[in-house]
Amino acid sequence: MSADTPPAAAQPKPITKALNCPGCGAPITLRALGQALSVVCESCHAILDAKDPNLKILQSFRKITSSDPPLIPLGTRGKIRGNDYEVIGFERRSITVDDIGYRWHEYVLFNPYKGFRYLTEYQGHWNDVAVCKEQPIVDSRLRIPLEANYLGEVYKHFQTADATTELVLGEFPWQVAVGEHAQLTDLICPPRVLSMERVSGEMTWTIGEYMYGREIWNAFRLSGNPPDAVGVYENQPSSFTTNVKQVWIAFALFALLILALMAGFEIQANSQPVFHAGYQLNQGEPRGESSFVTDTFELTGRTASVEVSTSADVSNNWIYVNYALINQDTGQAWDFGREVSFYSGYDSDGSWSEGGQHDSVVVPSVPPGHYYLRIEPEADALHPRIVYTLDVKRNVPVYEFYGIGVVALLLPPIFITWRSMIFERSRWSESDHPPNPIFNINTSSEDDD
Amino acid sequence: MFHKLYLIYGVLILSMVGFAEFRGWSLDSMNQLHNVPRSVRDNPGSYRSVYSSYHHYTGGK
Repeated sequence: MSADTPPAAAQPKPITKALNCPGCGAPITLRALGQALSVVCESCHAILDAKDPNLKILQSFRKITSSDPPLIPLGTRGKIRGNDYEVIGFERRSITVDDIGYRWHEYVLFNPYKGFRYLTEYQGHWNDVAVCKEQPIVDSRLRIPLEANYLGEVYKHFQTADATTELVLGEFPWQVAVGEHAQLTDLICPPRVLSMERVSGEMTWTIGEYMYGREIWNAFRLSGNPPDAVGVYENQPSSFTTNVKQVWIAFALFALLILALMAGFEIQANSQPVFHAGYQLNQGEPRGESSFVTDTFELTGRTASVEVSTSADVSNNWIYVNYALINQDTGQAWDFGREVSFYSGYDSDGSWSEGGQHDSVVVPSVPPGHYYLRIEPEADALHPRIVYTLDVKRNVPVYEFYGIGVVALLLPPIFITWRSMIFERSRWSESDHPPNPIFNINTSSEDDD
Repeated sequence: MFHKLYLIYGVLILSMVGFAEFRGWSLDSMNQLHNVPRSVRDNPGSYRSVYSSYHHYTGGK
């Protein structure tokens, strides 16, 4: 975008002047009198010299260049960044990339005390643009900068293209001309975009910030709805991208807290042993009632978990134990069965084993009281004698909850990282630096062989 | 916005993990019964476990 620097602090009062187009005689109102260099007749689209008292024709057309009414009509006033501006100019520009034409619109805004600023619109994406207050820092050896530093922010090169001005309306603070060519380079640091424009050796830097269509409509009190934004724009902010780092930091914090929680419960739990006994299952003895009960043991403290562990000297066999943890006082019981089995051998793949000689189960939320276990062991009749031991512990930590907690905490960061990657890929796919495709589909004939 | 929602979500997850651990919850499944008669202590055979019909795995590769 070509632009003069904003006017000095001491500004004259806004002056407007009504004139007539020397080409077609249509009335022309100069809104930025004294500061606009060009004015375009809204009737015949002739470009006139705004500095000339007789509005000398700079460029005229046999017929009207094209019809593309601005979304914000010329003369509309609105408030941008707390200041009132009036729309005084409108132009349509285009670039061609890979034989595809891309068109966007630019609006010239004017405030007699604040000067000029601009709005750009492309497929429902808007930018509030102003001329840079200082020169961005770039590598001067490169004609097209790959990186720029402006006011401490680093901008990355997005695209360079040759733009053509296709249509102009209203007033401009530069000598505008239809058909004018300019080299545009955009560097981005969402939600901002730094643009370098070269026109016949003259270079202008502007800084733009992304705005949503609804913000523009509200600022200018326009009726209806703004056009829907299509796709992802070069400097469009992503709520996912801006949150990725923060969410991962929060996840790290939560992971530390969950470790602290685990350590705290581990210290507090101390896994008190409350019962231990050894038994022997003799299948060779005459069959009778195999079930029996243990001595009574006391579970103290608050309602907490109870771990029942079974260890057996099984080898290529099994023992199954039906347990019932019964509260002697209330008749409340937890009924469960546990198997201890261990098998091993050797085959063509080498040695193998499965199972183990130890098993444990955690009984949930057991209130304090006096308890005993009813035990009913079973085993294969081919293995006449199995020795097994029983251990009962009170208040044991259940580590699975911490694992589930960590997984649950991981899901949102993974989700927003994935969404952010999709968003950024979509953004950069429109740039001069498109990302590599995720799936590289090779359709060469070699694959068919 | 998402960051704040995640903070709330994280606090909720931590609270749930802490509560589950404090209350002694378990992921093991078992059958809970009420009013088991006192006579089971003297006559364990009178109690029938719901797991007594379990089909045992006999192992082997």
